[in-house]
Amino acid sequence: MPRYLSDGRPLATYQEISAFLAEVERRAFKQAMFAVRDEHSAVDIVQDAMLKLTEKYSDKPAAELPMLFQRIVQNTIHDHFRRQKVRSTWTTLLSALGRGDEKDDDFDPLETLAAKSDSNQTADPAAQLEQRQVIGVIEQALERLPARQREAFLLRYWEELDVAEAAQAMGCSEGSVKTHCSRAVHALAEMLKAKGVSL
Amino acid sequence: MSPDDIFANKITTYLDHGLPDLKAGTAYRLQLARAEALARLADPARATSAQAVTSAAVAGAGNGTGAMSGGRGMGGGRGWLWLGIALIVAAGFGYQQWQAYQQLTDIEETDAAILSSELPIDAYLDRGFQNWLKRASYEQE
Repeated sequence: MPRYLSDGRPLATYQEISAFLAEVERRAFKQAMFAVRDEHSAVDIVQDAMLKLTEKYSDKPAAELPMLFQRIVQNTIHDHFRRQKVRSTWTTLLSALGRGDEKDDDFDPLETLAAKSDSNQTADPAAQLEQRQVIGVIEQALERLPARQREAFLLRYWEELDVAEAAQAMGCSEGSVKTHCSRAVHALAEMLKAKGVSL
Repeated sequence: MSPDDIFANKITTYLDHGLPDLKAGTAYRLQLARAEALARLADPARATSAQAVTSAAVAGAGNGTGAMSGGRGMGGGRGWLWLGIALIVAAGFGYQQWQAYQQLTDIEETDAAILSSELPIDAYLDRGFQNWLKRASYEQE
């Protein structure tokens, strides 16, 4: 039998949290990727967000998890940029000493293989290629969006939070969320049109 | 549904289609991250969730465990910090004590050497004796 908060709402069970994280992890990774444009950092951000959710916010109803998790993800992304700003000062100072090829050393060809796809793949290779190209263009367009517009768009439409939840996750007013979303949609439409992509 | 919503839904459908195409390494790391996060769930008893409890008791227990788990996490971190600080302070204090003891030992040895010597202490204060000592040492060299 589920456990309850004092107001009668049931707490999220282990299974619900597990299922929620499994469902949301890839979208969270993509969100982080659009923002930071670095796979390792994006995975770190998702990992931090998951840990924060399970360590500090696990005593919440399952219905609150999406909004809470998105808020944590956004804050973790902002923290990443704050740390990066401090680090870049030192990087600039040390860049004169030259850079190594650490990135090349870390390259693992196995990691470039796509994970086994589990759904939504068309059988036709030509259609698959076209779909991948469109996805690539959309992802590039999302990366180019201003951060707040991208956040609002992804939270509202991809994470399917309502305006109030998105506002809470972003720490802004509902009006701002609507404005950011509207601007994001129009900016995306123009960018896709410029690339010759029609949906 | 507004045209904006329709357009946005089309985009998110494409984004959904792109999700399975994550690199194997990335998907694996995400899976590991999830496993680690779940392992650290604040209240492991959630896993069973078979225990029936009254809402009031649960509210208290839930809040309590939440606070405890948070406290434990923070307490653990702070505990290590304080332990580190205590070790540094103890090491500093120990070094100071050891130095003071060494100084005392040196003074004791000097005093003992002076007192046990056949030469009277007043001789060290006598300028003539000091001049003779210097001369004697030059001559020896």
